[in-house]
Amino acid sequence: MKASHTMKNRASPFASLLPALLVIGVLVLVPALGPSNRTLSLAISAGINIVALYGLAVLFGQTGILSMGHAALVGVGAYVAAILARDAGIGFWVALPLGSLLAAVAAAIVGVPSLRVSGHHFVIMTFAFGQLLAIVLTNGGDFTGAATGLDLQLPVTWFGRDAGELVPYYFIVVAFVAISAIASWAIINSSYGRTLRAIRENEKLAASLGINVGRHKIGAFVVSGLFAGVSGVLLAYFFRHISPNQFSSFPSIYLALMVMIGGARLLLGPIAGGILVSFLPEMLNLDPVESRILYGVCLIAVILLLPNGLIAGLLQGLQAIVKAAFGSRAETPAAGANNASGARR
Amino acid sequence: MNAILEIRGLRKQFGGVTALSGVDLSIDEGEILGVVGPNGSGKTTLFNVVTGVYKPTAGAVTWHGRDITGLVAHEVSGAGIAHTFQQAMAFPGLPVFENVQIACEHARKSARPYPWTTPDALLDFVGLSELAHERAGILPFGSLRLLGIALALATRPSLILLDEPAAGLNDRETQTLVGLVKQFPQHGISVCVIDHDMKLMQMLCRRLVVLDFGSKIADGLIHDVLNDPKVLEVYLGGVL
Ligand SMILES: Nc1ncnc2c1ncn2[C@@H]1O[C@H](COP(=O)(O)OP(=O)(O)O)[C@@H](O)[C@H]1O
Ligand SMILES: [Mg+2]
Repeated sequence: MKASHTMKNRASPFASLLPALLVIGVLVLVPALGPSNRTLSLAISAGINIVALYGLAVLFGQTGILSMGHAALVGVGAYVAAILARDAGIGFWVALPLGSLLAAVAAAIVGVPSLRVSGHHFVIMTFAFGQLLAIVLTNGGDFTGAATGLDLQLPVTWFGRDAGELVPYYFIVVAFVAISAIASWAIINSSYGRTLRAIRENEKLAASLGINVGRHKIGAFVVSGLFAGVSGVLLAYFFRHISPNQFSSFPSIYLALMVMIGGARLLLGPIAGGILVSFLPEMLNLDPVESRILYGVCLIAVILLLPNGLIAGLLQGLQAIVKAAFGSRAETPAAGANNASGARR
Repeated sequence: MNAILEIRGLRKQFGGVTALSGVDLSIDEGEILGVVGPNGSGKTTLFNVVTGVYKPTAGAVTWHGRDITGLVAHEVSGAGIAHTFQQAMAFPGLPVFENVQIACEHARKSARPYPWTTPDALLDFVGLSELAHERAGILPFGSLRLLGIALALATRPSLILLDEPAAGLNDRETQTLVGLVKQFPQHGISVCVIDHDMKLMQMLCRRLVVLDFGSKIADGLIHDVLNDPKVLEVYLGGVL
């Protein structure tokens, strides 16, 4: 009995990484299908969002804290990239770690005062921070390019060759999606991830077991800032022009929406949410106003019908179908229920 | 006897409500101390103030000679005082095994040997091995209480505060609980237990403290306290 516990706990984590790796493997093949430039551009911006979503999933899915100003942290990464390129000639690969680090520092500066208060206050504080950053960027004069924003002209190179074209840049973004997914998986399956889940499940109990709840909440926000910063640098080098409104409240709400629609607790959730929200308006041929309405409706539907997100909802639906098809037999082995609970962390 | 925890003049007010009005209490090394009192007499508040859930309005708590008044919950846990909640608590969305694993991973560093340092050993001790992979949220109430004990033990405490650990348990489960708690002192874990069940108290404790309206009205050997006219008056033949 004892041996079987440890066995199971060792075997399951890798199984949870496989579906995400498989999907990323499929994404790598996309350029071979000869997609249009429009499709590839959408896929790249979806991928850039997905990197940030993995950070948001650590914060919301694991720790249970929602940030409604996350685009602001992405903005820190993007502006760091653009300013470093302009003022110091520092390029893409050095900007990545620096943008990531500075976004994490920004998260710490916002997190330390905000996370002392309750969850609801934190949501409002992150929202306010998002607005504040947009105001600062707009009024930053030449340094931030004010309302016009900044251009970024340095090329992206990859093993000595230019990688600024759509296809090579697509591969770079997919690589960072893979890194983010693996980092997120490593966090989820570590003692650190368990600590965050404990806080999500019951703060009072977590504290009574010796967990410094406040410090870990700030830590989770800082970790999500690392992802957001990488996403921001990728974004700046993709669009080549950044401006404050790209990082204001609407993009933040979209990020929160994407992670909720995809499902914040599943490793596939950010990929599903990122792709769906980026491609759905295009596929349905909606104008911006219509797509905002659609997103609003989607958000309400997901919160009411699929509180664990789309993927978890699909899995539950599948399980129900299997159960119905195989009758009571599918219900008897305890293993089925265990797997379901194990998958939804 | 050697007091490990000393509480002096402990007061706690919630707005106009005085939940504790200057309580003195000491807990000796290796003992199982009982605390009883009518509903609302301040028993839970006493635990909450000692364990850092609330800050006291006045008074001092000394732990092994060190002033721990006003420490926050995770610091009190780190000092070696564990605590179970009156409303049985767990991490409901996580498997039972992971619940205990989390508690073990945050255990304080203690030089003393503990018989239960792994999740498996703890689950085995409280008899929940079979349920290790169930979500804690689906456990029946009795199992949830036992899980709470396992979580508290995982922190490697030298004092454990149990708030109504037998409330909601049937007779068999209560017997299991008594069997477990009686083993704590021989492993260097002192106990302070709140409950209404006097039979349980007589099985567990030599010494009993009675609270009424936030004040201590009796403190002594359980037999003497239960025959104290002041105590009989409070209970008016009710629970006793
Ligand atoms: N968080 C709180 N806020 C306000 N009043 C409280 C709080 N906790 C306890 N009280 C009050 O303090 C008194 C003692 O409560 P408690 O310690 O729970 O009693 P017991 O555990 O002995 O039943 C009660 O009058 C209760 O209403
Ligand atoms: Mg109580």
